[in-house]
Amino acid sequence: MSAHETPVAVGGKLLAPPMKTLLALFAVAAAVMAFRFFAGLGPVSNMSDGFAWGIWEPINVVVFTGIGTGALGVGLLTYLANRGEYHGLVRPAVLAGAIAYTLGGSSIMVALGRYWNALLLPVVPLWNLSSALLEVAVCVLAYLFVLWIEVLPSILDRAAESASPRWSRIGRRWAPRLARAMPYLIGLAMVLPVMHQSSLGGLMLIAEPKVHPLWHTALLPALFLVSCLSMGYGAVVALVTILNLAWNAKLDPRLLATLARVNSGFLFFFLALRLGDLAWAGKLPLLGFDVTTLLFVVELCLFLAPAAMFAVPAVQRNRGRMFGAALLAVAAGAVYRVDTYLSVFRPGPGWSYFPSLGEIAVTVGMGAAGIALFIVICRLFPIVVVGKRPAVARGRAPGAPGRPPELERMRTSA
Amino acid sequence: MRISRRGLLKGTVAAGAAGALAGAAHGREAVEPEPDAVGMLFDSTRCVGCRACQSACKTANGLHPDTVSANGGVYDAPLDLNASTKTIIKTFGSGEGQAFVKQQCMHCVDPPCVSACMLGAMHKEGEGKRPIRGEKRGTGVVVYDPYTCTGCRYCQIACPFNVPKFEWRAAFPLIVKCELCRHRADPSRPGPLALANPACAEVCPRRAIVYGWRRELLAEAKRRIAAEPRRYNGHVYGEHEGGGTQVLCLAGAGISFQDLGLRALPDRSAARFSESVSHAPYLHGLTPIALYAAIAFVVRRNERGHEASRREEETR
Repeated sequence: MSAHETPVAVGGKLLAPPMKTLLALFAVAAAVMAFRFFAGLGPVSNMSDGFAWGIWEPINVVVFTGIGTGALGVGLLTYLANRGEYHGLVRPAVLAGAIAYTLGGSSIMVALGRYWNALLLPVVPLWNLSSALLEVAVCVLAYLFVLWIEVLPSILDRAAESASPRWSRIGRRWAPRLARAMPYLIGLAMVLPVMHQSSLGGLMLIAEPKVHPLWHTALLPALFLVSCLSMGYGAVVALVTILNLAWNAKLDPRLLATLARVNSGFLFFFLALRLGDLAWAGKLPLLGFDVTTLLFVVELCLFLAPAAMFAVPAVQRNRGRMFGAALLAVAAGAVYRVDTYLSVFRPGPGWSYFPSLGEIAVTVGMGAAGIALFIVICRLFPIVVVGKRPAVARGRAPGAPGRPPELERMRTSA
Repeated sequence: MRISRRGLLKGTVAAGAAGALAGAAHGREAVEPEPDAVGMLFDSTRCVGCRACQSACKTANGLHPDTVSANGGVYDAPLDLNASTKTIIKTFGSGEGQAFVKQQCMHCVDPPCVSACMLGAMHKEGEGKRPIRGEKRGTGVVVYDPYTCTGCRYCQIACPFNVPKFEWRAAFPLIVKCELCRHRADPSRPGPLALANPACAEVCPRRAIVYGWRRELLAEAKRRIAAEPRRYNGHVYGEHEGGGTQVLCLAGAGISFQDLGLRALPDRSAARFSESVSHAPYLHGLTPIALYAAIAFVVRRNERGHEASRREEETR
């Protein structure tokens, strides 16, 4: 790794105006969550015995962690496919993953009615191995640990440079040890998300009579696994683009182009699985002129658009279009997941659901908290590899004059 | 080499998909009803909708009234099963086709709620994940243990009958559902009454609700259909539906169970389907271990390769 590939702490003011907005959003969420612990779930949500999970499980857990699997995606390329050039993306992707999973985990704690009994989850003799949710819960908790341990090298690097001799000693002592243990940790960091991301799809297998047959299939685990990868790679492309705009993070168009091709493959693979499964099961006649068919078509288009865009070299060279395609890829997976868990979930006649303001506030506030945490950690610890020119002057609006050199290079090559 | 590894990845995904399909094909075996399973038989043609069962249930289980205010009066009139209503009489249709139905936990032979429950809070009596005093194995009653319940509500998602209910307005909520009045069992009495004694069956003035051994109730239901074929629609709901239920239901001629709000279900339990598909790719836990070992091996080899090339550069 050459010197300019070393991640640095971005620095800058912690409480810049966007940060204040993010914290305000989180404050609203925190108030709702605090109230929930006294009043119960009913008063803050529109959840019911029919729609027992509302939006927190489908969005805060299933979508957030889907976005968080960018860590898995980059890890697969860097360590398994041995493409060392992606090393610079590992730290931001892993941090984003750690934060996304933390949000998912903490949202679940708020959603659990008898949250104190979650302390029993590590008690192995109590495990009901038939439960897909148990697999998800245990696996997500374990992965949460692994992700934060993977974030540790950044913290230790920073500690090693610290002026305090004590911190510096800790950093210099533990960083190499952790580096030696990494291959074994990376193994876990790949197996665990493969297991629980497929189980997130497996969760809905048992709701067979309630999930619309166009969505309910034995392939749910496989479809969720593939969609988490397509979301993850999309999230990484989007993240790298934003980091480049905001902090002049290093952005190698060739790497992004490869990510785009890989993602295109996963998106097409998803479409093939989804359509092939429906055709094979003889479910295509279920399509008609109704709302569910509309949802299905919207979903297909959301997958098809980024799949096609990512495959086109002209898009791969254009940062704006790449960013658009990346957001579409994330949206596609997100919509597929929310549809399966909520939109086409039909508990029976008489039940209807639309999220309450309180539920929306918690989902938005948790998302805001995640972004805030990401910014703070990037400012304080070496996560981002910054381009050759010094970081964009702190506090200046992104995209303002002083365009990062990477973009110039992209323009000329395009 | 690189390409082959990416191919390997894709192969893994494909293998997972194939595994899922294969799992759907064979999977775990069906659960048969226990020989001494208890249950209930509800005969819709005998029910006159007096709701004595509903009141008796509330008294026997210490449930709060579910009040509705109308016309200046207040009534204990629940509109559906809820956190203070474990059974309810509903009416469907009108005129000749009018009929009553009793909704409550069906005590499935292979219950999806039990399959779904993370720590065995929802379990078949005597088959939980922790020993609970007083529980007898073999009754097949689906019981609830609040001490291991996390309130995740996956049982509500999984139940095809929307039976488990959640205390939405409580800071320390419980799941509420019929446990067949297991607490009213009297060990000194003979037969099934030593195991449970549902208050609803005890008070029913028309004997529309009968409690007993499931096998005997099933035989009784078939006997009634054979004796009066024109009175009934000819089927016993719960003999096979969703893998079988221990609460069985008879309906009048010309009335389908779906008219009565009982879902049309396949003969195999959703629990069996879900477990078969979910477990298949794991190959009894072998897959994750093999996958982990393979990844750790490849990653370590790659790292060593990098180290070697670094050292080479340094010596040059």
